[in-house]
Amino acid sequence: MTCRVLLLGLLLLAFVPPPAGAQTPAARLDGMWSDPPVTPEGLFCFFACTDTGLARLNALLDDPANDARPFQQLQAEAKQAERAYIRDQLTPAARQRYPFDPADDPGFLRCEPWGTARQIFAPHQLEIRPRGADRLELRYGEWDGLRTIYLDGRRPAARAPSAMGHSVGRWEGETLVVDTSGIAASIIMLPDLQAMGEHSDELRIVERYTRSADGGSLHLTATLTDARTFRAPLVLRKIWRWAPEQQIAPYDACERPTEFKKGARP
Amino acid sequence: MRWRRAALAALPMFTLTAADAIPHHAFSPVYDEHRVIIVAGVVTEFRFVNPHAMMVMDVTDEGGKVVQWTVEFAGRLNLSEFGWTAGSIKAGEKVTVTGNPTHTGSARIFFRRIVRADGTELLPGNAQRLDTIEEQRRRRRQGTQQQ
Repeated sequence: MTCRVLLLGLLLLAFVPPPAGAQTPAARLDGMWSDPPVTPEGLFCFFACTDTGLARLNALLDDPANDARPFQQLQAEAKQAERAYIRDQLTPAARQRYPFDPADDPGFLRCEPWGTARQIFAPHQLEIRPRGADRLELRYGEWDGLRTIYLDGRRPAARAPSAMGHSVGRWEGETLVVDTSGIAASIIMLPDLQAMGEHSDELRIVERYTRSADGGSLHLTATLTDARTFRAPLVLRKIWRWAPEQQIAPYDACERPTEFKKGARP
Repeated sequence: MRWRRAALAALPMFTLTAADAIPHHAFSPVYDEHRVIIVAGVVTEFRFVNPHAMMVMDVTDEGGKVVQWTVEFAGRLNLSEFGWTAGSIKAGEKVTVTGNPTHTGSARIFFRRIVRADGTELLPGNAQRLDTIEEQRRRRRQGTQQQ
């Protein structure tokens, strides 16, 4: 009986977000996160979003004239405004290829795993775990992707860019700051799978991860800099929900498409 | 069981959103989001896998010929958020599937709704999220009106 009570207590504790300020910064992010809280902001930023897009969504939601319009319709209108904003942030060369035809996506055509610029905005599970004293691992449900964040400031000797690049992390108070460069030219969410763009191997991403005061959500602000892609740094946001009940399942049944149509944009 | 197709274009419930999309790639190269068809048959297999769960069903066409249809879902990593398991759909079940057809008209459909023989339904997770958001908006409006 005592064992049962103890087990029940431990189980309950696992589902309660730790209180703010009760842990070290690393321990505050440690654990499983997944799809965002079910709020307008959470749904709008399911992959990623911009402040411009969010402001447009909130203006639409606050306008009583839109009370009878479904949320999906308002979201689509705000996303359209967001894409126009992102298009304006692109260099002329990048703008010509935006949005990227999803039929040309190597993840779709050849089951090629995503690079960092897409992986960090992947929906669903994200597990953060310390690995020794000098690194963190970020594991994603999508593609079962794995990133290593080096906390000791180490920089690799000059080497060719790779899909995940090289990530160095540090703590600023309770915020994890991750600086990634050396990412091979690939595809990027701008801001989701319906509107992707291409980046060059000059891309640098600075991610800032902060847990909410109530412990229930994780917020990412990512600043993307790439002079060949963006006219100025682009800031994207994303949210996860504390989800200790979630697990990362095998990602081993990707099939190459047998039929598809080019130019069929949503 | 006969199969039937219906052009139910422009139904708001079938409008795709980012959260609805197939996880590892965009939906549009394979499926036509502007059209919806209905197919009825008997499940022969359900694979609860990533990146896309898959169901195979035997569908008897109007000439009495059995055609094997593939039903594609979001991935296990998405469906598990809403309590789906490998046992959510069983071989031998009679089901009616509503979803988006392929651009080519092949025997393949992207899941939007499944109705079982007993009338119970399976819906994509995003439909549940949208219901919650609309309820939040309704309560907010009520709160504003009472002030």
